[in-house]
Amino acid sequence: MMLNYYITEDYIDQMLESIEKFGTYIVLADEFALPHARPSEAVKKTGMSLLVVKNGVDLKNNDVKLFIVLAAKDSTTHTEVLQSLASFLMEKQNIKDVINAERVDDIETILEKRWK
Amino acid sequence: MKILAVCGFGVGSSMILKMTIQKALNELNVKGDVVNSDISDVKSQNADAIFTSPDFVNDLKKRVNTPLYPVKKYSDLEEVKGQVEKFLKDQD
Repeated sequence: MMLNYYITEDYIDQMLESIEKFGTYIVLADEFALPHARPSEAVKKTGMSLLVVKNGVDLKNNDVKLFIVLAAKDSTTHTEVLQSLASFLMEKQNIKDVINAERVDDIETILEKRWK
Repeated sequence: MKILAVCGFGVGSSMILKMTIQKALNELNVKGDVVNSDISDVKSQNADAIFTSPDFVNDLKKRVNTPLYPVKKYSDLEEVKGQVEKFLKDQD
């Protein structure tokens, strides 16, 4: 996201600080985390970025395999996309299927079909 | 009935929690308002219950009298539904 000018390096620090300060509630479901910080100058464009780590990352005793970074420029623009994300996450199979996908194309197909 | 969903910033996670609570209320056929907020703004919100991370519970206990319902995974519908049911039972 930094390379595409959505966020500056400050935003990465802010996301890390948030975990230190507030804990790991960004682990919204088993194996899924939504790293983010508050809207600020460090966000240039509202956007999201998806990462699958097949072997998992230990986030303070949570094994996380799917990350979606949220960068919000303000507190309203991203509301709609979060609604879609919430519905997507409530179906636990969706998370499993994205993690188990073998190729980026497969993830895109899953999202096209089930992201509403 | 008003339920408050709380996270650190009030822009991402609490919004997700709000939607999970709404879904749980729908499935239980219960009407209620769900509002999301950040941890520092909790006091200004008048609510019947606060749903939030276990990490925030102790801090909030010192500041508000509103009943607190901890939720570990904000988009885990079963967990959230369980806490909503507990809240409804406590209301009786």
